[in-house]
Amino acid sequence: MAQHEIEIQILPTGEVKIHVKGIKGKGCLEYAKWLTAAIGKVHSRQLTSEYYEPETKTRINLQQELKTNE
Amino acid sequence: MSTVIILAPVVMASWPILTAAATAAAVGMGLAIKDSIQEDLAEQVEAPQSVEVELEDSQVTGTLSTDRQIVLSKGDVELRITRDSRGRCKVCATGTGKSKTELKQMADEFTQKLIQSYAYHRTMTELKSKQFQVVNEEVLEDGTVRIQVRRWVD
Repeated sequence: MAQHEIEIQILPTGEVKIHVKGIKGKGCLEYAKWLTAAIGKVHSRQLTSEYYEPETKTRINLQQELKTNE
Repeated sequence: MSTVIILAPVVMASWPILTAAATAAAVGMGLAIKDSIQEDLAEQVEAPQSVEVELEDSQVTGTLSTDRQIVLSKGDVELRITRDSRGRCKVCATGTGKSKTELKQMADEFTQKLIQSYAYHRTMTELKSKQFQVVNEEVLEDGTVRIQVRRWVD
């Protein structure tokens, strides 16, 4: 089971800011596409820093390697 | 993986949905619903000042008459939400003792609230249809509505 989370901010101007979190692969873009079709037009889109981070398993391995080398 | 998108809502609504959004927006601005839906425009009394604001990205759906309107009031100012012949939504502010600038400001403020209310209703409807559960919902100091939703998938 995986947890899919979305944070939505509806600004006073009516603009809707959607932050799709923690969904691997193209899943998050699918959510973005679905909500765009339902709500309106895209003003801007960006991939957050989380997108560029290595996956958890790789990061743990790296940390273990660093500790071993100390 | 994570992404952030900012959307400009396109108001595509039938009168009942628009009425619900207008009512929510009206409450936020202290406006009273004078007459939720009126059919006859002929009996309306002309006000000395009048300003119209059109919702650019809007389409009122359904086969209802273009004479339908929602009337809201606050003091001497009336806001009328109507649908033009092309189906676009308009907000018209009329009132005595108010300048056109004041009326325009009020119409703009209400229009923004209306779009925000519509966006809220539309978003929540979509999220519920995908079985998302609301984890947290709050209104920030600047009026932004922040909603956190979550669902478990296989």
